[in-house]
Amino acid sequence: MLEFDAIHSAFGLLTSSWEAWIWVLPGLLVGLFFGAMPGISITMAMAIFLPLTLYMDFLPAIIFLTSIYTGAGFGGSVPAILMNIPGTSSAVATTFDGYPMARQGRHNEALGVALAASVIGTLSSYVLLAFLIAPVSAVVLKMGPLEMFVVAIWGMLLLGSLAGSSIPRGLLAGVFGVLLGTIGMNTAGFIRGTMGVPWLLDGVPTIPAMMGLLAASQLLNLVNVNYLIEDESSRTLSFGRIVSGVRLALRYPTIIARGSIVGVLVGAVPGVGSSISNLISYSEAKRNADDGDTFGQGNPKGVIAAESANSSSEGGAMATMLALGIPGGGATAILLAAFAMHNIVGGPSFIGQNKDIVYAIIFSNFAQAVLLLVVGLGFVFLASSIVRVPLRFLIPSVLVVSVFGSYALTGSASGPITLFLFAVIGWVMLRYDYPVAATVVGLLLGRLLETNLLRSWQISGGDVGYVLERPGAAAILALMLLSIGLTALSRYRRRRRMAAVTPEVAS
Amino acid sequence: MSTKFTRRQALRLAAGSGLAATALAAPRIARAQSSYPEQPINVVVPFDTGGYNDRLARAFTPFLQERLGQPLVVVNRGGAGALLGHTYFLQQPDDGYTILCTSAAPYMPLNILLQGAQFKISDFQMINLPSRDYTLMATEAGSELKSVDDVIAKLKADPSSLSIGVQPASADLVNLMLWADANGISRDGLRIVTYDGGGPARNAAAGGVVDIGLVGGEGFLPLAEKIRPLLIFDSEKRDNWDAPNSGERGVSKSVSGSQRGWAVHASMKESHPDRYEILVKAIEETSKDPKVVESLTKQQLATEWYGPEASQESLRQTAEVMEQHVDLLKGA
Repeated sequence: MLEFDAIHSAFGLLTSSWEAWIWVLPGLLVGLFFGAMPGISITMAMAIFLPLTLYMDFLPAIIFLTSIYTGAGFGGSVPAILMNIPGTSSAVATTFDGYPMARQGRHNEALGVALAASVIGTLSSYVLLAFLIAPVSAVVLKMGPLEMFVVAIWGMLLLGSLAGSSIPRGLLAGVFGVLLGTIGMNTAGFIRGTMGVPWLLDGVPTIPAMMGLLAASQLLNLVNVNYLIEDESSRTLSFGRIVSGVRLALRYPTIIARGSIVGVLVGAVPGVGSSISNLISYSEAKRNADDGDTFGQGNPKGVIAAESANSSSEGGAMATMLALGIPGGGATAILLAAFAMHNIVGGPSFIGQNKDIVYAIIFSNFAQAVLLLVVGLGFVFLASSIVRVPLRFLIPSVLVVSVFGSYALTGSASGPITLFLFAVIGWVMLRYDYPVAATVVGLLLGRLLETNLLRSWQISGGDVGYVLERPGAAAILALMLLSIGLTALSRYRRRRRMAAVTPEVAS
Repeated sequence: MSTKFTRRQALRLAAGSGLAATALAAPRIARAQSSYPEQPINVVVPFDTGGYNDRLARAFTPFLQERLGQPLVVVNRGGAGALLGHTYFLQQPDDGYTILCTSAAPYMPLNILLQGAQFKISDFQMINLPSRDYTLMATEAGSELKSVDDVIAKLKADPSSLSIGVQPASADLVNLMLWADANGISRDGLRIVTYDGGGPARNAAAGGVVDIGLVGGEGFLPLAEKIRPLLIFDSEKRDNWDAPNSGERGVSKSVSGSQRGWAVHASMKESHPDRYEILVKAIEETSKDPKVVESLTKQQLATEWYGPEASQESLRQTAEVMEQHVDLLKGA
């Protein structure tokens, strides 16, 4: 709960010196720019600027790094929308509807919607964080493999929505992805499917594979098209339409609220984070929407669901890091390294002794979210000018940037090789009408599914009754079934209403 | 003539004085040129950013570069349990401009024994391995297991009564099995839950997801309040844990955990003996510098100086014990 003494001294910390504020804007800009570059992850952007923070005081250093975090969290959605390249794995679901919107000439709206959903997502995740940091931290350590497995299954439900015209093809593509995800050394130390290639011991490099599947395969299909948007009159840069996109997002508070809650909860679990939360949020939004059938064809609700969840995961990951000193992913690991560089040890005792600093970080993030709206509007406006670049220049440039990015990610030729192989696989899949996105989801979730199923089996000794010993897992499972049940019910009702209406129309 | 300088004159003057300064400093530079190092040195860390070796390298190098007079650049080459990084390091020239900061144990023996690495331990020359981790058996702070005796009693009655979180192919697993043997607990029935990193295994132990966890003890320090230490696998007390050590409990045999620190190519001793001496001396002086000790201790990083011989010997011994128990390491 909130503690007002600490809040008071947090304001003291933030208002006593300009230094706590001067780094917010550069941090956001760095984050936006690096996040928008395909292949430069949030972690990498923060790692590059980590040494700089040695020369700052503790609070400004942390504020600078969290500003990069916030900026990069949104930056990744820009290439996702404009080029179908998820800059990070957390922007995968953004491509599903964002890119179709861009191709229809609604790129301005799509970017505006994404920006607004991100800003509100970040904001609400830190509000939740301020109230929930203690209970969340108590729960996080209790999350066992069975709970994680159920969460992963929830993510897999998305396969049903991605299948497109043919369910069997969708499932086949999903299973293919899951199998790809299990390549490498598993959690019990067994090595599978590496074909003797040492670079595969950690699994298929996910982001290069994803870039190959989604982006390169798409770009090859665009070879005979002159511009990203075929209709010349739609190829506009319009600040007004970006702003109307922002307003459009505000019309769907339920989707944003759901996305934020999913994002905070999933983001708080170490090792899961924003790459899963955006998928769950997207599939929930799709199942619960009246116009769920148009998801994947440029429905702004899909963008809202994905972006509100991936940006609110930041707040969840910060809760775990601040309360327990456990990094949920690369970005929070860098923050902990920054703590260490200032001789501050993260861990359960940190939050008890430094409540004022924790609140100062939270309040600063409120300000970052608001400022992101302003900076983001300008950034998005400039970035959207790529719709005017003829594709014969754009495609090669994007491919070159992707190759560099995949090299930067892996530090060896294994990145570009993966990108190339998966671009071919993606193109073949598209050619024979298999949904590429289902393979991407399988690839992202495969390892999580396998590892946690194996661990559940190890802990329980094969006893199925273990499910009953884990009320948390049972609760998540019940929630998932309830959500599916409610959807089925509302569909059934809608169909009956339609059936009741149709004859009248016909008569 | 006015006394005012034009911009151009000022520049010329600055350039001139720069030249003069360079000329004055020339003897020093000439001396430096005959000796090592005369260009930046790369520090290969075969892990991604944020882990112990990365933190150690980034905390230590600012002090070391003051002594060496050349910048040190940390290069992260993570992946495949350090196999990729170790292989990459050996492919670099042995001229002392690429040095290694790694968890020599257990990763070098594991690379060789399990992953078919093309190198030998003797291809590396340890300079100093200051961090020597140990296995800590721990349980959740609120657990009903009050001491290691409770654990022994339970496991003796039924080896599958407790779930045990551990990393596969680790010194911790070897220690668990040796401990089980010494206490008359059957190895086969143990309910082992494998985690692919120390962090997740510690979280599982601290959260009560597994009944007990056996993981490197140093990493438990930030979580100290959330756990109850049960047994230290070392001959002496470590890190002020309130738990007996295996030496007191009659289990003399235990494998030390991670041994982390600095290494170079073994061939450097023959190809560039002078550079090797300079580097060893610089690392020794830096490790012993009180300023460095204070700064690193605050970050929970080790600075102990053991020296090349002792470090190499300790690694060799660990590798030998791991080789004896290679069947255990091959898959849990």
